[in-house]
Amino acid sequence: MNLERMMHPKSVAIIGASSNPDKVGHIILQNYIDVGFSGKLYPVNINAEGDILGIKSYKRINDIKNAVDLAVIAVPAATVPSVLEECGRAGVKSAVVVSGGFAEVGEIRLEEELAGVAKKYSMPVLGPNCLGIMDPRARIDTLFLPTFKLDKPSIGGVSFVSQSGAVGSTILDLISHEGFGLARFISYGNATVIDEVDILNYLADDDDTKVIIFYLEGAKRGRDFIEIAKRTTLKKPVVIIKGGKTEEGAKAAQSHTASLAGSYQTYEAIFRQFGFTIANDLDELLFFGKIFDTQPLCRGNRIAIITNGGGTGVLATDGLYENGLQVAKLSSQSNAALRKAMPPIVNIRLPMDMAGDADDKRFNAALDIISNDPGVDAIMAIALFQTPGADSRVAASLIHYGTSMKKPMVVVSPGGSYTEVHKRMMESSGVPVYDSPETAAKALKALIDYSNYIDNAKRLYGSGKEHK
Amino acid sequence: MELIDYMEAYNMLKRRGIRAIDAKYVGSSDEAIRFSGGEPIVLKVISQKAMHKTKSGLVALGLEKPDEIKSSFSDLYRKAQKIKPYRILAQKMVKNGIEIIIGGNTDKQFGKFVLLGLGGIYVETFKDFAMRSCPINEYDARSMVEQLRSKKIIAPDGKSERLLVDLLLKVSKFFMSEESITELDLNPVILHDDTYSAVDLRLIR
Repeated sequence: MNLERMMHPKSVAIIGASSNPDKVGHIILQNYIDVGFSGKLYPVNINAEGDILGIKSYKRINDIKNAVDLAVIAVPAATVPSVLEECGRAGVKSAVVVSGGFAEVGEIRLEEELAGVAKKYSMPVLGPNCLGIMDPRARIDTLFLPTFKLDKPSIGGVSFVSQSGAVGSTILDLISHEGFGLARFISYGNATVIDEVDILNYLADDDDTKVIIFYLEGAKRGRDFIEIAKRTTLKKPVVIIKGGKTEEGAKAAQSHTASLAGSYQTYEAIFRQFGFTIANDLDELLFFGKIFDTQPLCRGNRIAIITNGGGTGVLATDGLYENGLQVAKLSSQSNAALRKAMPPIVNIRLPMDMAGDADDKRFNAALDIISNDPGVDAIMAIALFQTPGADSRVAASLIHYGTSMKKPMVVVSPGGSYTEVHKRMMESSGVPVYDSPETAAKALKALIDYSNYIDNAKRLYGSGKEHK
Repeated sequence: MELIDYMEAYNMLKRRGIRAIDAKYVGSSDEAIRFSGGEPIVLKVISQKAMHKTKSGLVALGLEKPDEIKSSFSDLYRKAQKIKPYRILAQKMVKNGIEIIIGGNTDKQFGKFVLLGLGGIYVETFKDFAMRSCPINEYDARSMVEQLRSKKIIAPDGKSERLLVDLLLKVSKFFMSEESITELDLNPVILHDDTYSAVDLRLIR
């Protein structure tokens, strides 16, 4: 199914558009105006007279003489199939049905009707019961959430796919605080026509998307899902969280194997096998998303920890080993160079505690030497901004090394508002910052696991060799 | 759903290079004594109506002397009358070793899976297992072993890991080639003396 027209429409009809601010159709139209959509907008409402929000309105879709690439449908469920039928007849290229009231509330026949119309016109239809699409680059926003209630993310490389609209809007709101930008948001609801396979298929080839983060409740086409998972992860990382983990299969277990192999276990096996990064909660979805978005792949698990606080370095060491990673060992050259650069109170060994008065000069010297040590695969830099030595110059040093060296780097900076300012500086420059060394270690582990996966996957089936 | 006869399953797997411990149906205690040949054996009642043999007391372990075999045989014979049709299986005893489970399952959506886990009495307690969608390749098999918390117990060195990887690959191949089989349980498989012996088999179609 080709989603190109839906993702990059030049003309959008909003069916159910209204002057009444309480109506979903009003909010959607207002959002399109607010984000500055550059294509043509056509408000459609059967009761419309004159303009809606200052734009000429139409009673019916076929009153619009020009071609319509996308119809956003926000009318009561019962009327959706006939509205979609009119769209089909009028030659509308694609549709997003935001209305709820279909299979999710037991109205299965209504949903089948909708599917039938979509099939008849070979029309890609997103939804129903979804938020639709947000694309800050193309200035598209079908979300029926008032702008002032939701912080909207900036433009970036992370695409976020969510079956659920509620999880979708929450995460979007949080993304804007994580300092990484959005390529596309796709909320696909009941997946009646366009499902997770179609969406992954589109995003796998989408150049704007560097990383995919995904909230999935269930896949409809099992074997196709496996194939698309395999194809997508060869091209870009996918961080996934599955809703409905604890749901128990109703099937009476005939064997030990069957009793262990519950539904979540099955999904988890697929995710692991085909290179998805599993997030265990929504926080991890964001933590993993941002390391993939900004950092290069990592071919080893030897991590150099530098810190301006001893205890946090100890916790970081624990975090590494708990995640199957290890503290790197420095070469004798690095040791000698560090000995020269650091004051006598600093013990030259990893994790290296540069002491509370460590300033940007100390951070610079350490990062310069360590980033060039061949025994180091990645760096975890702990910068506690509560210390006397740490200020914006330390953040600048971390930004410099975090964005220019070839090895991945994560920063750990827990703290309040002074820290928050520096965290934002670093994150908006492309350096992932975590509140705890444990989460930073988990993120590094996710990066390393995916890097290992992709190396093997390329060897196994990247070269056209069949997966047998 | 039908449980495939034990010896049929035994032979199907054997043909694909998956070894189970020596076994034979015995119709009398004399036959069981001859099968033992002085080595310790196990007697089990096999019936579609008894899924959990140990729980129902339908297994007698470590029988070596002819007297022991004789009395256990008559005991099992008596108990088995309630769950006809049945047969009595004699198996050689395996030395002690590490128990693992290797299995296969069919998911409505995703199709067939193989599973590897720490076995025996620990299966349900630790739930330490890894699953992959079939067919699996060498990398998948290795990553299954790597994934287990009990990796150091069941595959402490390269040789033991190789053994498991090969076995998993064979099981995946077997499972994929036998279309009608929907579930498979080699539980336990005992790892001992640098080799393995499947002690109980269950193929369901």
